[in-house]
Amino acid sequence: MRWVDVKESLSEFWYDFRRQKSGLLGIVLLFLFVFTAAAAPILTSPDIPEKWQGFWLDNPKNVPPTWINALSSQKMATHLAITGDELQNLITKTDSEYLIKVSYNNEYDIPPQDIVIKDLAGDASGGKLSISVMVERPDGRKITLLENYKFSGSLVLQLGSHPQVRDNLIKWIKSEGIYVDPIQEFQYKTLMDATKVIFGELNENILEAPTPLTGTYTFTILVNVPEGSSVSFENAKIIFTGRTYGKLGTDFKGRDLLAGIIWGSRVSLVIGISVAVFSVIVGIFYGVTSAYLGGWSDELMMRFQEFMASIPSLPILILMGAYFGGHIKLWQIVVLLVLFGWVGIARVARSMALQIKEQTYVEAAKALGAGTGRIIFKHMVPQLLPYAFAQMALSVPSAVLSEASLSYLGLGDPTAVTWGQILHDAQVAGAAVNGYWWWVIPPGLAIALVGLTFVLIGTALDRVLNPRLKRL
Amino acid sequence: MGFGRYLVIRILNALVVLAIVTLVMSALFVKVAEKDLENTIVQQVNAEFQSLQQRGRIPDDPDAWRAERIAHYRSQYHLDKPYWWRVQYYFKNTITLNFGKTKNPVFGSEKDVMAILKVAIPRTIQLFTTAQIIIITLGILLGVKAAQMVGSFFDRALSVLALIMSSIPMWWFGMIMLLIFSFKLGWFPSRAIPDPNLTGWAHIVDLLKRMTLPVATIVIVSFGAWAWVIRNIMIGTMQEDFIMAARAKGVPERKVIYGHALRAAAPPVVTMIIFSLLGSLGGAIITESVFTWPGMGRVYWIAIETNETNLIMGLTFVNVLLYLSGVILADLTYGFLDPRVKVGASQNV
Repeated sequence: MRWVDVKESLSEFWYDFRRQKSGLLGIVLLFLFVFTAAAAPILTSPDIPEKWQGFWLDNPKNVPPTWINALSSQKMATHLAITGDELQNLITKTDSEYLIKVSYNNEYDIPPQDIVIKDLAGDASGGKLSISVMVERPDGRKITLLENYKFSGSLVLQLGSHPQVRDNLIKWIKSEGIYVDPIQEFQYKTLMDATKVIFGELNENILEAPTPLTGTYTFTILVNVPEGSSVSFENAKIIFTGRTYGKLGTDFKGRDLLAGIIWGSRVSLVIGISVAVFSVIVGIFYGVTSAYLGGWSDELMMRFQEFMASIPSLPILILMGAYFGGHIKLWQIVVLLVLFGWVGIARVARSMALQIKEQTYVEAAKALGAGTGRIIFKHMVPQLLPYAFAQMALSVPSAVLSEASLSYLGLGDPTAVTWGQILHDAQVAGAAVNGYWWWVIPPGLAIALVGLTFVLIGTALDRVLNPRLKRL
Repeated sequence: MGFGRYLVIRILNALVVLAIVTLVMSALFVKVAEKDLENTIVQQVNAEFQSLQQRGRIPDDPDAWRAERIAHYRSQYHLDKPYWWRVQYYFKNTITLNFGKTKNPVFGSEKDVMAILKVAIPRTIQLFTTAQIIIITLGILLGVKAAQMVGSFFDRALSVLALIMSSIPMWWFGMIMLLIFSFKLGWFPSRAIPDPNLTGWAHIVDLLKRMTLPVATIVIVSFGAWAWVIRNIMIGTMQEDFIMAARAKGVPERKVIYGHALRAAAPPVVTMIIFSLLGSLGGAIITESVFTWPGMGRVYWIAIETNETNLIMGLTFVNVLLYLSGVILADLTYGFLDPRVKVGASQNV
């Protein structure tokens, strides 16, 4: 084939394909998926796969996405982490003290889960350092949450569940002239949701059923450094642990599910496309060879094909998973799926090749002394290419589904981020029963969308390349 | 070729396939089981050593004693035999349905793999057949309807539905159903394991209630694709001459469709039924685990999570067995309905 011919047939193909609206939709979707997969490190961050298996300690666990606030009447606090330069700008240094002033605008009906001050690195060679935390509320009242709390080394302070903070809050409530039942005081000290009190309106019910007080809160954090000691704020973070997080919420390890979905697209696309391409190639060559050779070889090859067709793939794949030590690596999944994927295609390819074999040009080639390989590669396989391309697209969804099913059963590659694995974790954590919809819906939807993309492209290709099917 | 001979050939064929698959499975299994058994042996020897220690009878040479005990257990588990001997040993055991025991009890206190499977398989079949009967009825009704009015809105809607549903993972759809009907609306229980305290009528109602969500999941995900296949077969049949003749004769349209066309389309439809049955078995088994329905899917889930190799082997073998019986059934009905065929329907897959 000359280049001009290729160009012409391509433009002819495109002329036909353009009119297939569903095919164009599929192409657009495919483009989107490829873009997401390729740009995953830029869209999220490049270290997600390494981080994925561990706990994401800074994030809240099992919280819905932030946009849920637009749909519900109760506004839930979003996650806010103050780090890096943003934090450095809030620090002022006096003689022996560092002063951090953080203002937090609470506009939510349900305040943050917790306020965390973490990773202050203190070097206590000249005596222990101490930290105090004060807050000024929108109603003008000031509370000292923590006074001269001594620390050395790395500090992680969770104000929401800190006993001293609870004590100070009860003291403050008493000093404001509100009666606290002494019998229940101990219970409050151990179980109080401190952030709800800090961000609550001051009235008799502040401990029992706090109502939110909106406005700007100013937190003052005072770090006292004795002579000879020092403190570093380099890695420090101040986190207002949210009740909602990001675009898709988090799971039980605090992982950002949006990042998981974006990175999962890589595995899905790579597995889906490579399995489809390889199994179609194997199937086509197997079928064509079988048809061309004929006789005993044909009989033998078709027997083997029949044998492969009567093996149920999923149970065998599960057994293989156990064989590989409970986890199948990605390339192993590709090999296994190809092993079962070529079977159906080989039979169709054989029946198509049987017709082509009888064409006069094949006979002519044979008469000219062309060898088996040349006839198969140069004269027969190219005739099957239209069918092959359509089949490639149509084989992707089942490959994607199989990979997801295996990962869902817990047999997937533990080092890869995949949609099936996110759903496996969701099932183990009982996400559906507990109503964590943001954890269950997006991965499955993504799987379905990839499947749909290739079904759309495949059927459109089929209609363009195999015009006989147009009437259906 | 007579039907009897045809039958014998198909069954022999299936048996050969079964034998080869089992052999391959055994060869794989021996490798997996070896690691497993070695761990078990070390544990057993350690336990023995500790019990001796407690009774104050520590052997003179602990290392030699250990080696001797390990060798004893190795010969007891046949680990000292060559690889191929063990493969044929497992092959014989598997073929005779002797799968051994699990390490931890499954379903209460049951440890025998065969007994576990005997409990699980009927439950899977119960769920699966219920769903399939509904799917087949819906599929035939909708498919015929769509074939009657090709290109109509209904026809297009059915095609789009079949397209979308074919790319949805069934088990994920099950999770969504749980989310909506169990968590949000609270209509159905989230766990499908029946309440053992109920008897009689209350038990049946309880069971039906627990079956609703899994059955609905399987039906909703599969019926679209099904109806679409029936539609395509029917479109082909409706263009045949004898349909035109029947219409010209004045046979009522209902009778033309259900009496003439559907009967002529029966061979492919019946085989399609059986093959789609077999095809959706895997998906349905995974779906079971979502609803903790105590069938094969649940057992699979447990077996993989707790690394029960004997159980995985038994499940795989039973699955292959079920699948092959399905293939034989499809071949036989095909040969029965369409006497012209010399080869089985499975040859067209």
